[in-house]
Amino acid sequence: MLQSFSLFRLVCWIILALILAVTLAPFWIVIKTALMHSADVFTHSTDLWPNDATVVNFKRVLGLMSTEESIKAGGSGAKVNFSLAMFNSFVFTGLIVIIQTASAAASAYAFARLRFPGRNVIFGLFVASMMIPGVVTFIPNFILIRDLGWLNSMLGMIAPFCLMQGFSVFFLRQFFISLPKELEEAAYLEGASYFYIFWKIAIPLSITPLITIATLIGINMWNEFLWPFLVAKDESHQVLTVALQSFKSQTPQGQPDWTGLMAAISISILPTIGLLLLFGRNVVESVQFSGGK
Amino acid sequence: MSESSRWLAALWRPFSQTRRAETFTAYALILPALIGFSLFYALPTIRALELSFTDWNMMRPPKFIGFDNYVKLWHDGRFWNGMKLSLYYVLLNIPLQTAIGLFLAVAMDRLTRSIFVRSVVLLPYLLSNVLVALIWLWMLDPLLGVVNHLITSLGLDRQAFLGSPNQALATVAGINIWRHMGLVAMLFLAGLQNIPRNLYEAAMVEGATEWQMFRHITLPLLRPVMVFVLVTSVTGSFQIFDTIAVTTAGGPQDSTNVIVYYIITNAFSFNKMGYASAMSMVLAAVMVLYTLIQMRVMRASDSDLA
Amino acid sequence: MKRTTLWVALGLASSFGTAQAVEVKYMLWDANQLPAYQQCATDFQAKNPDITIKITQAGWNDYWTAITTGFVSGTAPDVFTNHLAKYPEFAKNEQLVDLAPMIARDKLDAGAYEAGLYEVWGRDGKQYGLPKDWDTIAFIVNMDMAKQAGVSLDDLNNMDWNPKDGGSFEKVVRKLSVDEAGNNATSDKFDKSKVKTFGFQTPGGGGMMGQTEWSYFAVSDGWKFHDKVWDNNYYYDDPKLVETISYLAGLPDKGISAPYEQTKSLGPDAMFVGGKVAMIPQGSWMISYFKDNAKFPTAWVPLPKGPSGKRATMFNGLADSIWVGSKVQDQAWQWVKYLGSADCQSVVAAKGVVFPAIKGMADKAMATQKAAGVDSSAFITMSKEQTFLAPIGDNGSQVDDIIKTAFESIYIGKADAAATLKDANANAKVNELGK
Repeated sequence: MLQSFSLFRLVCWIILALILAVTLAPFWIVIKTALMHSADVFTHSTDLWPNDATVVNFKRVLGLMSTEESIKAGGSGAKVNFSLAMFNSFVFTGLIVIIQTASAAASAYAFARLRFPGRNVIFGLFVASMMIPGVVTFIPNFILIRDLGWLNSMLGMIAPFCLMQGFSVFFLRQFFISLPKELEEAAYLEGASYFYIFWKIAIPLSITPLITIATLIGINMWNEFLWPFLVAKDESHQVLTVALQSFKSQTPQGQPDWTGLMAAISISILPTIGLLLLFGRNVVESVQFSGGK
Repeated sequence: MSESSRWLAALWRPFSQTRRAETFTAYALILPALIGFSLFYALPTIRALELSFTDWNMMRPPKFIGFDNYVKLWHDGRFWNGMKLSLYYVLLNIPLQTAIGLFLAVAMDRLTRSIFVRSVVLLPYLLSNVLVALIWLWMLDPLLGVVNHLITSLGLDRQAFLGSPNQALATVAGINIWRHMGLVAMLFLAGLQNIPRNLYEAAMVEGATEWQMFRHITLPLLRPVMVFVLVTSVTGSFQIFDTIAVTTAGGPQDSTNVIVYYIITNAFSFNKMGYASAMSMVLAAVMVLYTLIQMRVMRASDSDLA
Repeated sequence: MKRTTLWVALGLASSFGTAQAVEVKYMLWDANQLPAYQQCATDFQAKNPDITIKITQAGWNDYWTAITTGFVSGTAPDVFTNHLAKYPEFAKNEQLVDLAPMIARDKLDAGAYEAGLYEVWGRDGKQYGLPKDWDTIAFIVNMDMAKQAGVSLDDLNNMDWNPKDGGSFEKVVRKLSVDEAGNNATSDKFDKSKVKTFGFQTPGGGGMMGQTEWSYFAVSDGWKFHDKVWDNNYYYDDPKLVETISYLAGLPDKGISAPYEQTKSLGPDAMFVGGKVAMIPQGSWMISYFKDNAKFPTAWVPLPKGPSGKRATMFNGLADSIWVGSKVQDQAWQWVKYLGSADCQSVVAAKGVVFPAIKGMADKAMATQKAAGVDSSAFITMSKEQTFLAPIGDNGSQVDDIIKTAFESIYIGKADAAATLKDANANAKVNELGK
């Protein structure tokens, strides 16, 4: 029995090592390609180490070279305004995280604890909204944002996401229901208002799930592509995913400029790595917590 | 801060004993979400339904055409092909992704709690679909990609992957498995950590093998997590779009022209907003139906456990 | 009371506005051409201090999404570079300003442009764009490889082609195809499974136009897209096209082209630059790309003569259009007029990036290219052979999608060309009717 146990551990180690390798290998390929001369792509694309490493690709995607020089180095002359795109991504994500978390917490608490006419119907509708595929509301929302004159503005980019999302409300409601009622009842008997109870008692007890839902919203919004792509074409409002896709489609005849693209990707990954280094435990635990109530 | 909340409390107090105060507070609390729901979910859904009965190219006013769009999609082979491909995609994606996630979780549960290992495993999920798709597009390039280099150096034939109608959809599924397996593993790991250790100890005393323990303790107790994972990943998977937009654009030979991609193409490339809306309504009906059936099944399984 | 002050304020603001420069937004997709048109804009502003030009550039796919969503959202540029495959839909939906009255008023001479370039942008007496450039197709050859294969420039300049045995074109391509053991494809020892460099690579499907892909082969075989522009009865099911496509789809089986499914993502341009293929077709707008990227001697050669006895090429041109939603149409017209004038086109010619639309300017562009070490005369040669226009019809993007998918089935799926094209042609028509 002891033998089978250690054999099992061995198998586990192999699975884990294999998956870690498969997870990490692409990052190495990205960085390695980013460090190659674009002319070497055809002859050395499969080398595991860049021979004659260069930072020219980083320079050209960051716009540190003139358009002519950059085209000579094998690019399309296109660059990515990284600081602006990252700033836009941060603002876009940040605003949605804050507003949606607050709004979801408030409504989830009401659904969990307060009795009011129409509660079940409204909650049912919120839950049902999760079933509607995004593509359905996509076209009318685009028209709505246009009619409001919010195209090419941060307001138009965040509006459909920031107030309500079924999952956030549902998730937090489940949590509030599971919270012991005693504290709130005690406060109620002492004459505290419902709002006071929500704000002063329920919220402080819910910091962990609030961080969880904020993290999940943050991950999703940081990666959102199609909506900002259609609503905010203007370079001044492009988020990172949109900037990257338009960089990819810059090259003549649509052939990707691989070395430039990999340099752009390497830079785009940095905020994510930074997030993991700083808040790794929070992020990981938030994601884990999202499934097991 | 505390002063202002005390002031708030005082303000609310006179009403707090009454039912009206409760209703009032409740509506105040749900108001932002209710506005968001009405403006960006309810209204657009009704509007989409309305549009689905029109011929509209965005450039001219919509023209009412009754059920024409629905009749047209009934006869549109590419619409049904899209539905079929999306379903097929779910089958390619979900079982393998769930299995890998599960085994990875079991392995990690046994070996390490390291936050570093968990961060690495989760890393691909933290990158956007667009980014992940670009990375793999490069790695899987038939002529220059490192994957084909490995394959040919093992003496096997070069594979076209995203360029082949037979492999493209499976390759897209593979790319998304790479992105999501860590996420699934994390969810399972959370579930595993909730299983009382003494169950395993008792089983070992009785001489159970690892497989028996997995089969009879781990799997049944992971059921709620499993349900959650399946519910969220199946609906997401059925709506696959980003990865396809970046890697294959629906090709080659329509082999990855899944339903959402086909709808978006009709809307924003062919400017057929009315037709696209009609197709999205059918898609919505299918999704609602699926969810209702699933809720039935879940409710049944709940009562099972109780 | 308040209202009057508001109106006064607005009136003041607008009178200030005329004193200030009016901004005209201009959009184009080719980053290579940006510097040339930026120069035009600078010159234009110097002459018209009351107008400023704001140029935006976006890659091909993003470009058209930006234009169409821009029409809807009111954010489209005032002036934009237009394409023959796209403009019919815009014109039909009344998104483009009819330039004919302004052309008549300002007495512009349509005859100043190379033949045909002006006419294709008009329908029923209306004019939707003013021509700015033209392009033809030629082959570019890796001359190091040609030399090794014993193929002379003369051989390359005088190729002929037919769908039966490929003619001297295929002989040249066979010589240029070399396997890892060093045998070329004329030899029996040539190993199709271990090809080192391919002789020729077509870019594959190509959609309804097949501009660089197959149109020149098919037309030199006696095929045509349709009887006249705007005719929605296409001939995609014609036996001439069927035999052409079958021939092209068969090249990889002979080991002289790489399989399409493997080259789709990389594309012939990158393969050529990377030394994986010796000869590819490409348009004149790509001259500078190869000059900058190919690290070996190259030559542009005319396309082969077909069974019709002639070489054939699509003669295509871009034009600038004005969006109806533009609030500064007068200024926009000034800019369009300038773009189509000799002043701007000579600047474009001097950059040598494309051939300008005004007669005689092409020589200037060619001289620039020559000075940079590129002989682009093959494109001029092609423009004097049998030239044909791109197919123009309604619902272009949808027809394009249908034909593209059909070609992919033939190239990759090894579907029967005759049956596949018959279906596709029927579908293209049904779509017209079903609209």
